[in-house]
Amino acid sequence: MENLNYKEEIEKTQSENALEEIRIKYLGRKGIINKLFEEIKTLPQSLRKKKGQRINEIKSEIEKLIENRKQALEKTKKEEFFDETLPGKSYPKGSLHPLTYVIEEIVSIFQKIGFIRVSYPEVEWEYFSFEALNMPKGHPARDDFETFFIEANEHPKFGKMILSPHTSSGQNREMQRTKPPIRMINIAKTYRPNWDATHTPMFHQFEGLCIDKNINITHLKGTIDYFVKEFFGKERTIRLRPAHFQFTEPSFEIDVSCGLCFGKGEIHGKKCRVCKSGWLELAGAGMIHPNVLKMGGIDPSIYTGWAFGFGPERCMMMREEMKIDDIRILYSGDIRFLEQF
Amino acid sequence: MNIKLTYNWLLDFLETDVSPFDIQKYLSLSGPSIERVEKFDDDYVFDIEIISNRIDTACAFGMAQEAYAILPFFNKKAKIKVNPFEKYRFSQILKYGVNEKYKLNIELREKNLCSRFTAIILDGVKIRSSPLFIQKRLKAAGIKIINNVVDISNYLMLTLGQPTHIFDFDRIVNADKKSATMIMRQSKEGEKIVTLDGNEVKLPGDDIVIEDGRKRLIDLCGIMGGKDSCVTEKTKTIILFVQTYNKQKIRKTAMTTGVRTLASSYFEKGLDEERVEATLVLGVELLQNYASSKIASKIYDLYPNPYQKKEIKTTFSFFEKIMGIKIPKKTIIQILSSLGFKAKVEKERIKVYIPHFRKYDINIPEDLVEEVARIYGYNNLPSNFSPPAHVMQPDEFERTFKIISKIKHFLKHLGLNEVINYSMISKKMIEEWGLKKKNHLKIKNSISQEIEYLRTSLLPSLHKNIKDNEGKKEVLKFFEIAKVYFPKKDALPKEEYRLGIASNTDFFNLKGIIESLFKELNIDYFKIPKIIKKDRFFLTEIDLSFLIENYKLLPKFKSINPYAVIKLDKTFELNKNLTFAKIKEKAFQSKYLDKIEVLSLFKNNLTLRFYYSAKDRNLTEEEAKKELNKV
Repeated sequence: MENLNYKEEIEKTQSENALEEIRIKYLGRKGIINKLFEEIKTLPQSLRKKKGQRINEIKSEIEKLIENRKQALEKTKKEEFFDETLPGKSYPKGSLHPLTYVIEEIVSIFQKIGFIRVSYPEVEWEYFSFEALNMPKGHPARDDFETFFIEANEHPKFGKMILSPHTSSGQNREMQRTKPPIRMINIAKTYRPNWDATHTPMFHQFEGLCIDKNINITHLKGTIDYFVKEFFGKERTIRLRPAHFQFTEPSFEIDVSCGLCFGKGEIHGKKCRVCKSGWLELAGAGMIHPNVLKMGGIDPSIYTGWAFGFGPERCMMMREEMKIDDIRILYSGDIRFLEQF
Repeated sequence: MNIKLTYNWLLDFLETDVSPFDIQKYLSLSGPSIERVEKFDDDYVFDIEIISNRIDTACAFGMAQEAYAILPFFNKKAKIKVNPFEKYRFSQILKYGVNEKYKLNIELREKNLCSRFTAIILDGVKIRSSPLFIQKRLKAAGIKIINNVVDISNYLMLTLGQPTHIFDFDRIVNADKKSATMIMRQSKEGEKIVTLDGNEVKLPGDDIVIEDGRKRLIDLCGIMGGKDSCVTEKTKTIILFVQTYNKQKIRKTAMTTGVRTLASSYFEKGLDEERVEATLVLGVELLQNYASSKIASKIYDLYPNPYQKKEIKTTFSFFEKIMGIKIPKKTIIQILSSLGFKAKVEKERIKVYIPHFRKYDINIPEDLVEEVARIYGYNNLPSNFSPPAHVMQPDEFERTFKIISKIKHFLKHLGLNEVINYSMISKKMIEEWGLKKKNHLKIKNSISQEIEYLRTSLLPSLHKNIKDNEGKKEVLKFFEIAKVYFPKKDALPKEEYRLGIASNTDFFNLKGIIESLFKELNIDYFKIPKIIKKDRFFLTEIDLSFLIENYKLLPKFKSINPYAVIKLDKTFELNKNLTFAKIKEKAFQSKYLDKIEVLSLFKNNLTLRFYYSAKDRNLTEEEAKKELNKV
């Protein structure tokens, strides 16, 4: 038994097949090791145990030697070339319109603070877009909202049929639908007759409306500040400047600090190329005019509220990754634009 | 409306050591936005955006008044040097003695055209260049330099915010050579006037005009003077003309004639009548100083309804209610008085008297809150969340938005591209699709034939998308979710959400997209919507309300069958009597059939795999075969 030559035999093998043959010769069902175990039965009882242990030792030694030799043989095998830098299997990759992502982001930001999204008519009566917003017939403020008119009979009470030039027409609709507390956002398509590199005849607007007891300017400021930090980044700040809108009093323009120069207006002594003076105009806002509340059937001596209006397109283009110089591309349906998102 | 003024011009009225750039910074935060400051010679020019209801700030003195109220809240010194409303009074002219060398016969035919009409005649005028400081300031303001008289007229407007006009008296004088006739009336439709820029303007009617003694129109009031009566190199006697007009009329004339001037943009905002007196008096002073002119008539002043003191009553707590913080009473009163308001306090109540220059824009207590809040500084107000409230989103909105989002993301991951098209399409697109124009809403004032009608289907736009993109990419698969608009009689249209899909691949590619979408939404029983083929492209359109109503969050769970499943394959030769649908119908008559899979299709030879099992035992192959043989 002790003169078995397995060690030399294994180390001399040059192929996996030969190695397998050796394995069968020693460890196979009818191999040498099993034969040795058979022989134990012929020995006297007193020697059996010691012999058995010794055979087991040899068995594991052979197993180990074979395994080592196997690995050694594998190493010497010539390595096949495997290019990991090749691309993975390609899966279909569609796209959503970039505004879809922006709108979903806005909605989720406001959902977290309890605002619900609503939807109101895009084809509207003049009344909801103007009179209900404290802009009676002939008021010059109506000029600010150039409007598409529809060929249709006039409504005896609500006037002409139009394409809503802003989402603010939803203010009165929401006040008619429900009583305070109101926490609403309305994102919709809006229309005005302008078509050039910075205007499209259809665009989106995003309206926020909050009506309740004890709502004041600090709530408007806090809400917009929260939105700006969520949407543009924690380091951004807002400022309010005086403005005039017929449907709010007081009224504000809301600016957001420039993301490039952080509100300084200059970088290393040079004028910032993105903003005018450290700030970018973001939205119009204000405390809802008491006449607008009254027209919505809400008592302004009990309730107050704020409202704001943004352009999702503008919000999108104010982000670093979306520098678009001609806004018309958004609605061009060009696959080379769409597939990027 | 934007105006330009210089720093030194402002300093005529304001005493301060604040630099022009700091003035820009502070005023923009609490008052009018100064969009730009630029050096101009030895001065600086401000480009100012006038807030639309604050026409009183559109002049050097108005800006000085704003600066006087705003700067102290940034710890800067500011003082009003001179208040022209107090300094330039008619009494000052009267002290030169009354001279009635010439006369005006003024007739106001209608009552509501002009709330204040003033005029004075000056003679001995020497036309030359205006003094340098006026020239410089007007140049900085972007106004053309003409001569001393015209320049003074423009200078008055930007100094005190009140446009003026100057006539050549001799060109409209009556036969007596002593008097001129001025009849203010409304124009008749089609009347004509040649304005001083040489253009003939055909009047739409109801415009404010002045007719002289010879029945000629000499002024298109508030917009531009007539050419036949304007100041020339030869002018010797002039009428200084200072009015406030009915703002709606001026606006209408400016809009319908398309003649818009800086003066008309002042008048159409509605000017304060008290401004007229100071403007006329300062005008006389400047014309005396820089055009050698002398007073040659009395002051004509037709002012039927002089300014009545206007007051607003409110409480101190109202300021706190809107601003959200408590501001000391003293501070509120201090801010209001710095802006020219007088306040009378009675414990918690406050009565505020509105100065004449704010009489049109301050109407309700909220207006006063705005004044106090902006001067106090919006930046000094804290930011708070609105108090929490639970608001239910109507089920309809909630489901609509949720499912739209699900569909969009699913189709994206299937490899489709979302597109957003205009809601309006062209007549051509409607006709190409065999649709009827009369079933579409039409825009009355469209700006392009491309966007004249509101669409009733998404397919024409999607078809165009595919066509426009041919050659840019081999495989095109677009989808859009948007509203379509169906006209209703005497009511707003029905706005309906649709999902449209278009592809240049093939029928089964599109059918597969629809089937997987339905599966994704757990809609198990459905009829495939119609797939339309047009110009080698395949399109389909689905009413979104169908998907919304049938959508399920989870599919119905089927318990896992522990018994053997027997798979059997069989090939059929398809023809119009033996379609897949028929095979399927027949096969499912067996209660042991779980599902059918298409293995292959070759020249109408369809190989299907049938899966049979029983719910309560192992089905034998024999049993399954028996079932299949029935098919």
